[in-house]
Amino acid sequence: MEPLIRMVGITKTFPGVKALDGISFDIMPGEVHVLIGENGAGKSTLMKILSGVYQPTSGKIICNGREYDQLSTKTSVEEGIAIVYQELSVINELSILENLFVGKLPTKKFMGLSVVDFKSMREKAKVVLEQVGLHHDPDTLVGDLAVPDKQLCEIAKALVSGAKVIVLDEPTTSLTTSEVERLHGLIRELKAKGCGIVYISHKMKELKAIGDRITVLKDGTYVGTYPAAEITLDELIKLMVGREIKGTYFADESVDELMTHPVIFEAQGITRSDRTCRDISFQLHEGEILGFAGLVGAGRTETMEAIFGAVPKSSGKVFLKGKELHIKEPYAAIKQGLGMLTEDRRKLGFAKNFTCKQNISIEPYIKESTWGGLGGMLSNAKEEKWANEQISALNVKCTGPEQMTVDLSGGNQQKVILGKWMAAGSEVLIFDEPTKGIDVGSKSEIYILMRKLAKAGKGVLMISSEQTELLSVCDRIAVFHGGELKAVLEGKTATEEDIVRISTTE
Amino acid sequence: MSDNNTNKGFSFATFWQRFGTITILLLLLVVLAIARPNAVFSSTSIPQILRQSAVNILLALGEFFAILLGYIDLSISAACGLTGMCSALLMRANCPWVLACIAGVLCGTMIGALNGFMINKTGLHPFIITLGMQTVYFGLMLVVSNSSSVYGFPAGFSKFMNATLWGVLPVGAIIALITAGILWFLTARTKMGRNLYALGGNREAAWYSGINVHRHQMLVYMISGTCAGLAGIVLTGRLNAAAPTAGTGYETFAIAATIIGGTSFFGGVGKIPGVVAGGLIIGIINYGMTVMMIDASMQKVVMGALIIIAVTLDHLVSTSAKK
Repeated sequence: MEPLIRMVGITKTFPGVKALDGISFDIMPGEVHVLIGENGAGKSTLMKILSGVYQPTSGKIICNGREYDQLSTKTSVEEGIAIVYQELSVINELSILENLFVGKLPTKKFMGLSVVDFKSMREKAKVVLEQVGLHHDPDTLVGDLAVPDKQLCEIAKALVSGAKVIVLDEPTTSLTTSEVERLHGLIRELKAKGCGIVYISHKMKELKAIGDRITVLKDGTYVGTYPAAEITLDELIKLMVGREIKGTYFADESVDELMTHPVIFEAQGITRSDRTCRDISFQLHEGEILGFAGLVGAGRTETMEAIFGAVPKSSGKVFLKGKELHIKEPYAAIKQGLGMLTEDRRKLGFAKNFTCKQNISIEPYIKESTWGGLGGMLSNAKEEKWANEQISALNVKCTGPEQMTVDLSGGNQQKVILGKWMAAGSEVLIFDEPTKGIDVGSKSEIYILMRKLAKAGKGVLMISSEQTELLSVCDRIAVFHGGELKAVLEGKTATEEDIVRISTTE
Repeated sequence: MSDNNTNKGFSFATFWQRFGTITILLLLLVVLAIARPNAVFSSTSIPQILRQSAVNILLALGEFFAILLGYIDLSISAACGLTGMCSALLMRANCPWVLACIAGVLCGTMIGALNGFMINKTGLHPFIITLGMQTVYFGLMLVVSNSSSVYGFPAGFSKFMNATLWGVLPVGAIIALITAGILWFLTARTKMGRNLYALGGNREAAWYSGINVHRHQMLVYMISGTCAGLAGIVLTGRLNAAAPTAGTGYETFAIAATIIGGTSFFGGVGKIPGVVAGGLIIGIINYGMTVMMIDASMQKVVMGALIIIAVTLDHLVSTSAKK
């Protein structure tokens, strides 16, 4: 049988990075082809090439016997490819019917004018909505639908456009077990009709249940394609992980020794009002770096935001050196000695209209301010001192304290952000994905800085989605899954497989 | 916050960012001096221009804070009218004029606090809240004044408001300059001021940095309201009457003065001296058109067009600076 789509030797380079290196991938009619790999393995990039969002640097794409060097978004649709992204692209303000036909409204002639042919729209819509099992009135606003129904609407939209290949990107993240069952039922029906399905998911158990073949990607390279029936979960996890670890940044002492140190920071039963994290408790000992592993949305960042007071928590206590902290807003957290380096640097990390000097001064100013942050004078002498000290201590590469932070590289921006917390003398620092989007050299510098802080008696908490990073920096690693803390592993002895197993299987 | 001009050599864009507002101001004066020499080189011209500009400057100072946060305050025109009316009515009710003026300013502060409270509580965009409140305040003004003008103030008040220092500085202008001085100190020398720039640059980042968004928003609208209150008193003094529609359309001038003064409409960038210059520019345009005998209706057309030209020019220069 001829594959519906065949991608051969796809390579994609972005400035400075090779995102994909000679990947081959094909989709047969009537099969579910699962695509797995860790964050950054290249799954999304490959699918974006298939949908025409990205153009490959080299390689070929063969669709229905026609050969392309690259696809445009238009040819991709014409070749019957549809992608249902995790962040659904339905338009909430339109009805189901209008969403199905967005950009391709059928028309008819009426008194010489081209007008929308609602009758044929409704007929077609009825057929596909029946097929996907979406039993709402087609005039319902999509915004009024629950997430699983929006997803069905998106799949129906793919069917209306005559898609033969449907890519589902993390389709079950926000679905309950019975909704997953319903979706899998639909996938089986589509299979039977000869459609090819690409299924991307982190949830290992599902893959075995629904997949026919499984392709594994790792760091932008092709690992292999395996029949789902013949490969075990453990084998798959081994294939996905197993990168070389370069350099370690552990404490000099063993974990047993570290555990005898006094507890400097403790969280007890942190539960967020929106329940995205529940009953999280952990202790941080002096001198150790505690890591937080898990999938995006597993509750790591959510916990830290609640501890820091950025979002409300419904219950839970926080202790610094045995003293309970009362935190209602980040201001209170900072006054009492906490600091947080947020994941999204550009959005949450620094003021884009500020120079390095001004950014570094924000936190020490807040720390010594009065009247809830409103009171206090500026002092240029202090600003100069803070900025110069941190720029040299952290080796920030900038033209000087007056350079705009936004003009620095990612790594140096991160150092400026770290600098403001250091200048404020924060006792406990929360690093959320501190090396995301940062070059290798700066990464290593940041690990060394974190270790230095821990040695100096500061508390260091580190969230990361890169297991290798956690395994070479953190003395202990807390693994999250579904809003709960599932296990605490020892950094030196834990393996990537352990982390992946705990964070992907319920 | 554009002190990052450590660039080598001369660039028009950098020059414009720093001195653009002053350049426009001087150009306008030159044009006016050529067209109507008598209107510029006379002993009455400067006090006249300053008197006309004082209300613009005061309102622009308040508006500056809202725009600095990336927001807007459309209610200042009505707040200005309403506070002026309140003071006028108090004076007519035999309240000592100094007390009446203080009450008017405080009334402005309270109006601002009410705006701030509603913005914080509803979470709606300040455009909506202040647009609605503008109508509310204009309506209230008609209610309390019975839709008729109030005049006949104590002699002390009229004398004070129409006095000039050294024959050039009218009291209104002095009030505007003192206010500008205090607010300059606030923005350039206090933590609160710095926090406002951080908030305007990136609200969410500011929250994570420990800057309480609601507290600062409340303060900004209180400042804006207080400035409107001061403007209301100065306006009442200049006209020696409080009209039931006083202030109508003034928010447009205030917004224009703020933007012409180099404040970014997107928040986080701008300085008090620029705003003062912006207010003066609006005053000069008004004065210039009056002495050139352009009729009042046509003045509006010209004013609107000039505002768009000035802001477009500013936008073009600053976008070319980024390239």
